Amino acid sequence: MMPDSAPPNALMQMLYESTIGTTIRESATLFPWIESVHVLMIAAVVGTIAIVDLRLIGVASHLRGARQLILDMLPFTWVAFVLAVISGTLLFLSNATGYFQSMPFRFKLLTILIAGINMAIFHITAYRKIGDWDDQLPTPRAARIAGFSSLTLWLVIVFLGRWIGYSYPLA
Amino acid sequence: MSLQSFASHLYGTPISTAIRETSWIIPAVQSVHIIAIAGVVGAAIVMDLRLAGVLATDETPRAVVKRHLPWMWSSLALLLTSGFVLGLGEPYRVLMNAVFWVKMAMVVTGFTLTLLFRYPILHPDYRIEHARAAALIKPLAWASLAIWVVVVFCGRWIAYYQ
Repeated sequence: MMPDSAPPNALMQMLYESTIGTTIRESATLFPWIESVHVLMIAAVVGTIAIVDLRLIGVASHLRGARQLILDMLPFTWVAFVLAVISGTLLFLSNATGYFQSMPFRFKLLTILIAGINMAIFHITAYRKIGDWDDQLPTPRAARIAGFSSLTLWLVIVFLGRWIGYSYPLA
Repeated sequence: MSLQSFASHLYGTPISTAIRETSWIIPAVQSVHIIAIAGVVGAAIVMDLRLAGVLATDETPRAVVKRHLPWMWSSLALLLTSGFVLGLGEPYRVLMNAVFWVKMAMVVTGFTLTLLFRYPILHPDYRIEHARAAALIKPLAWASLAIWVVVVFCGRWIAYYQ
């Protein structure tokens, strides 16, 4: 067994003490500004993904060619997702040791990973043959499952994100 | 009755106390509130950017608005309902907060713009280039999108501004 030369969260302690982390933590206004950007980007990610998911599920009011709708929405989803990750990383740095211990935070990252895998599966399965069902209703079973899972996962991600601030150790 | 005494009266009601004292209600309703604003922002991105001539220009504005306006109304209804529950639980936090009133002014403006500049588009005879105030449609589409962005910022700042 390796001797413990440092506490298990030495990395988190280092991030906590980093210049960026310290600057955000000690500023009265940086955290709320970054948090506002984070919420806006999550709203854009969830809002645009929900439009695509509802189309995949086959909700009639979203009937536009599925392929074109996905191509319309994807750039917005990706830009907003990248900005959500950047703003989220900055918020994390401001209290790395705290977030690291937070269970809702850990589950949130895990759920984002699962949502990513779900999307990847959709892209290598049903999306490959989208030409066959682009303007068809009902949508193929694989597309319905992908849309429903994605929508559910993203709603769970919002709940987990909100719960971080209401549970140990950040309440 | 002053706003302060109204807030104080609300604070003392059993429903307000119940919302505050049940630990999961406020985070759960806040999560629903964020999901509702996500619905608003999603619908606003698609409709406003179509009217601004940026997105889905192969489709008529009418087709885009017809598809997304119902989602905008439902999301706004959910936003107001969840916001109402939050305000009921913590009346001082919102009613006595200037940022909250800026947010309300923005929501009313965004709502009015949606009503005045989206609803007529649904009419079958509507032609965007012949519409009254046609020159205003693009700038107002951008303004509408900006208003929802400000609403999100105000929402978060209510928690920090006293």
